[in-house]
Amino acid sequence: MTNTTASETCNELVFSSFFKSHAQSLRNFLFYKYGNKDQAEDVTQEAFIKLWQNCAAVPLEKAKSYLYTIASNSSLNEIAHQKVVLQYEKNFAGLDRTNENPEYILEEKQFETKLLNAIANLTETQRVAFLMHRIDKKKYSEIAIELNISVKAVEKRIHLALLALRKEIDL
Amino acid sequence: MEENYLLAKWLNNDLSATELAEFEASPEYATYQKIKTHSAHLEVGAFDGDQLLNKVLKEQKPAPKVVALFPKWLFRIAALFVLSLGIAYTMYHFVSQTTTAGYGETATLELPDHSKVVLNSGSTIAYKKWQWDTHRNLKLQGEAYFRVAKGKRFEVATSLGKVTVLGTQFNVKARENRFDVTCFEGRVKVNYKDQQILLTHGQSVTFENGIANNSITTESSPDWLQQEIAFHAEKLQRVIAEIERHYNVTITLKNVHTTALFTGKIPTKTLDVALQIIAKTYNLKKSKVAPNKIIFEGK
Repeated sequence: MTNTTASETCNELVFSSFFKSHAQSLRNFLFYKYGNKDQAEDVTQEAFIKLWQNCAAVPLEKAKSYLYTIASNSSLNEIAHQKVVLQYEKNFAGLDRTNENPEYILEEKQFETKLLNAIANLTETQRVAFLMHRIDKKKYSEIAIELNISVKAVEKRIHLALLALRKEIDL
Repeated sequence: MEENYLLAKWLNNDLSATELAEFEASPEYATYQKIKTHSAHLEVGAFDGDQLLNKVLKEQKPAPKVVALFPKWLFRIAALFVLSLGIAYTMYHFVSQTTTAGYGETATLELPDHSKVVLNSGSTIAYKKWQWDTHRNLKLQGEAYFRVAKGKRFEVATSLGKVTVLGTQFNVKARENRFDVTCFEGRVKVNYKDQQILLTHGQSVTFENGIANNSITTESSPDWLQQEIAFHAEKLQRVIAEIERHYNVTITLKNVHTTALFTGKIPTKTLDVALQIIAKTYNLKKSKVAPNKIIFEGK
């Protein structure tokens, strides 16, 4: 995977491994942006098909930004955005499992709902950067490459996102 | 916490110990911490990567693009251009060339073999350029004088009869039901219905209503080329019609009941003289009602 000749992208094994490491986060990125999971998956598929068909012209090192560019230019821009609906991991049941105080559990539930609402109400750019970091566990530098912006800009978006979230939750 | 994006650094665990201590002391810290912990346990939902990968890999690769040296439309235009040139060439050679001399004018044309044709007023001639050297056929309506270059058979077809020559000068006149052929040089074969007559130079033949009438001419070219028309025992109506054609005028005869035939010459360039000759000969009263409208009245 360190070799970056153009034909490498056309190798089915290389391509498959590239797909496995990037398909889900591309799907997630599109979902954070537009809020529709089915369409996010369709666009992900289209973007990878284009990469596969043009593999000879796209070296592996450029494949990632190629994908995100295609996805960002997709027809989804024309479609009305939906609210981003997230869920918690199945095994996650609040901060403190040992505390079974009903009042505490209720408070936790209320907080979870508030947080999901607040995330859905973030601006598109802030939400995308924030969720890429929190859900996909990406580094700021990785996010910067995928969004084609500077690391400072990513930090600013995260910072503003946190400010907005706290304000809405503490309201 | 301004401009340095401390919140972003804190979320990424990048704060220094002093910065962290300061932040933890702030009243908003509790909520931020909760956001941090909870948001780490969010998820989007199942993603079936393998199925999607199979779909992508199944997608056919398009054939490599071949960039043409010339765009396709250029070839189409070139083909169209060549085709239209070909059609134009064919039309030019296969379709009849038609020349018409209107009333009051004559027309001269040269055939591909440099034979010369002079059309008299109110006459039309048509021929095909294709293989002219071996098929020298013309269709004539009216009157024309021919000076034929030596070569294969030269044929002039009219509605009344056919004239065939090898190389000569001759005049053909086919008007209404009178067919005149005069040979000025060489030999001319004249076909009229089932009759066939051979003319040598200086001979002339007239067919009218199926009757052949031979005569002799001393001229070397037709009279109308010398700006005059000669008539030999011609009906008055025919003479009038000839004048009408040459001067492009309308002549009306009123109370004229003569059957006297006209023999003589009439100029083709001076209308007044021509009219004077007719008036004198037939003792008619001439009146011009308009520049191109003349009435002859019997006295």
